[in-house]
Amino acid sequence: MVSRNKNIVRVILIASYIVIIVLIVSGIGALFGYLNTGADRSAMLHTELKKIEQYTPKVVWTPLTNEGRSMDEQSLNTLENNYLDAWYVKHIAYKTNTTAGIKDYYTDSARLNLYDMIALNTDENITIESTTLEHHPTLNFFSEDGQLAVITDKDVVEYKRLFRDENMVLETTEISTYKIVLLLEDGFWRIRHLVKVKTEDYKVEHKEIATTNLNIQGINYYPQATPWDMFGDPFSKDTIAKDFNIIKEAGLNTVRVFVQYEDFEKANINKTKLDKLKQTLDAAETAQLDVIVTLFDFYGNYDVLDWTLNRRHAETIVSALKDHKALVGWDIKNEPNLDFESRGKTTVMAWLDTMINLVKSVDDQNPVTIGWSNAQSATLLKDKVDFVSFHYYEDLEDLDASIKTLQTAIPNKTLVMGEFGEPSYDGFWNPFGSNDDDQADYHKKAQAIIATNNLQYVSWTLYDFVDIPKEVVGRLPWRKNAQKHFGFIDENGTKKASFDYISKQ
Amino acid sequence: MRLKPIYILLLGLIVLSSFAAIQDSEMRIDTQLLTTQTEFEAGSAIILKFSASEITQPKLYCSSSYGSTLVTPSIQENMLLFTIPKNISKKTGQVQWKLLNDATSLSGQFKIVPIQEVTSMETYIGPPSIEAGGTDYTMLVVIPTDRLDNALPDNTIVDAKHQFLRNETSDAITTKNSIAYKNIYSEEKSGRMLVSSESKNTNSKEYTITVFPAIPTNFNISALRPHNYADGNQITTFETSVIKDKHNNVVSDGTYVSFYITNHKNNSLKTSGTTIKGVATAMMIHPDYKTQWSIKAYVDGMAESDMITLDYEQVINDFEVNFSKYNRNITIGPLQSFMKQMIPDGLQVTLLVYKDDILLETLHKTSIDGIVNFNLNPNSLKKGTYNIVITTAGLEQSFKALQLW
Repeated sequence: MVSRNKNIVRVILIASYIVIIVLIVSGIGALFGYLNTGADRSAMLHTELKKIEQYTPKVVWTPLTNEGRSMDEQSLNTLENNYLDAWYVKHIAYKTNTTAGIKDYYTDSARLNLYDMIALNTDENITIESTTLEHHPTLNFFSEDGQLAVITDKDVVEYKRLFRDENMVLETTEISTYKIVLLLEDGFWRIRHLVKVKTEDYKVEHKEIATTNLNIQGINYYPQATPWDMFGDPFSKDTIAKDFNIIKEAGLNTVRVFVQYEDFEKANINKTKLDKLKQTLDAAETAQLDVIVTLFDFYGNYDVLDWTLNRRHAETIVSALKDHKALVGWDIKNEPNLDFESRGKTTVMAWLDTMINLVKSVDDQNPVTIGWSNAQSATLLKDKVDFVSFHYYEDLEDLDASIKTLQTAIPNKTLVMGEFGEPSYDGFWNPFGSNDDDQADYHKKAQAIIATNNLQYVSWTLYDFVDIPKEVVGRLPWRKNAQKHFGFIDENGTKKASFDYISKQ
Repeated sequence: MRLKPIYILLLGLIVLSSFAAIQDSEMRIDTQLLTTQTEFEAGSAIILKFSASEITQPKLYCSSSYGSTLVTPSIQENMLLFTIPKNISKKTGQVQWKLLNDATSLSGQFKIVPIQEVTSMETYIGPPSIEAGGTDYTMLVVIPTDRLDNALPDNTIVDAKHQFLRNETSDAITTKNSIAYKNIYSEEKSGRMLVSSESKNTNSKEYTITVFPAIPTNFNISALRPHNYADGNQITTFETSVIKDKHNNVVSDGTYVSFYITNHKNNSLKTSGTTIKGVATAMMIHPDYKTQWSIKAYVDGMAESDMITLDYEQVINDFEVNFSKYNRNITIGPLQSFMKQMIPDGLQVTLLVYKDDILLETLHKTSIDGIVNFNLNPNSLKKGTYNIVITTAGLEQSFKALQLW
């Protein structure tokens, strides 16, 4: 017994010894590991510099015929980047009344002018939100040693919003010509002299696009399996073609699809996704359907300094698709009025205005509209859009009156009800909700009102969905479940009672 | 019927009152710009005067070359006075203004022009060194600026001056796009060129451009040696003639010259030197056997020299070999030079050991006091018969069937 006890003590001693050693070693190891964390060694030399696209106004160089040394493409590219960065830091400086970044892009003496202006505006509590939308630079001169350049930047479209004591006092768009002398210092092209030689208010006139031939009887479309993620990896043209045939056979002639801003990778459009969008339009053409493309969905920033990125986004899509036969119109933004409260009505309206101008400058054939979320907002920008569209999820009783009001307010423009519908959900989260028959009844009534008013329409939506991303209606189950059941076809692919009233037929 | 005049009266009153109302509002919005001047010199006090009957004080939006701001007015005798801030009035360019009152949208522009004086001559010159010969050039870029750092208007005359050797040149150039520039070409001579500029009696600093000689032309080489014996000890010095470019300028100091030496066995040796005052020197130790050297020098890729040849005479005509300690100790020497003096230390002697025509060992040693000793190691060379060959200074002696114990 004695020896057994001794052995037990020995075992315990040795075991605890081992445990302590293991703990100490692992402790030192962890400490050593911690001290070795941090930057990757390959990052030490800063060889990899990622350029983040943050400012992408349209820049059109006139062909090079400069005096002095002949310019090569790479140097011109560096010059352009630094020049635009100079504008960008200036916008930020005047927006925040701080001087960060100015040193990099303005020479010692030039930057004083900006500092003075910032000091003045700080005293008066003036801030300026501004951006430039277009630049048309000409290289006048490039010195033999490659250290000095003179450019004339014609027709710089500058948008400005002035605030005093946080209140907006002026919103203006100017078109100006600048003469700029730049020096290459420390590897940066810096502005040495900047002179505005010409300036005037910028007024843009676009010819209105006739919409008398417009006859939209359509449906908002997402594939059943991938709602709000139409152009991701599971994209299948066959599925879309099949769905488009169902839509065509149901007597409809139009689909409305959505481009999600972040999903399409903002200004630097993802080519694959754009190609999938094109394939969708091809499928629509085959099925003899027209397509309304919503250029911005899931975008809510509207910040003036974000404009150039938004414009690049829209420009890329519009110029890629504008000649497509299936295209019937551009919806600039889905339900922008929902952002009035959080972002400010002026901000959103100015954004919409500039986007309409942009789309019209790229495409002068296809009409534009804005997908307002309710009938009350639909009169906004009525003179800028070619046809007016609004979404209607309120009581059908009031629809007729709303249409009449709008028709009076906007007598000369086509009116399209861009979204309407009713979920057939009376499950756990909403036991008193409407069932399939109620939904059918809703669409029957809606079609009757549409017929009386000769209204054009795009209903919501073809399918009941299984998964709704949280970005659409949030996480609340009663909202999510309702959103799943707006379709004319249920999750098993069976046509619901409402399908009979999907169109005028 | 009596109602009719009342109606007319009422109608008349309504019309009148609305007319009065229009009158009133016209009075209210009667704000006009009184300042007629639309061009100001930079730095001058700019005050925009508006007639005003309002009590409200609208702000004035001003946008200049560098930025925008809002100006608050002062009121004087029914006038609104807007004093344009200094940082706007001192920089040239077009200034856009807008009166921010509710009723009217008065807007306009004025122009700020540079002061007609030159305070500084902003000068940029480059490249800082050019090549002689009249084809290469440097570019002088001048931005004449006024005291508020504004570039002067186009067509301002600038004198671009430069001095080179005895020539002093001055050319009138004019500014265009804020700058005036001139290409200054090199002349045939190398040297330092001084550059400056002047505009409206203001002169720039002095700038220096180095005119380097053009690329070298072919040249000659010569050799200098204490004697012509192949003693493996003395040094032959090679020297180039003064290397010049095609315009007779001595090439820049430090021009690298390579000398390539080929001996009668077609082996190559290389040495090099850099020029000082056009002359490059390089050295090479004498060979230790009779040979002939052919030497040619190059400035790589640009110029080459003629070829010279040098003969080296044999200094050792024969040497003695003594064997001792069972033939394992081999003493070579005394090795004597051209005056029978002991050859200077360091002459290489090679001993080759063969057995049945197979080379077993190669031993190298250098001479000390004219003598070289070899000890053949009994561990590696066992007792037996070997053939031994000894070479030095291009000579060779063989010992066949040498018995080693």
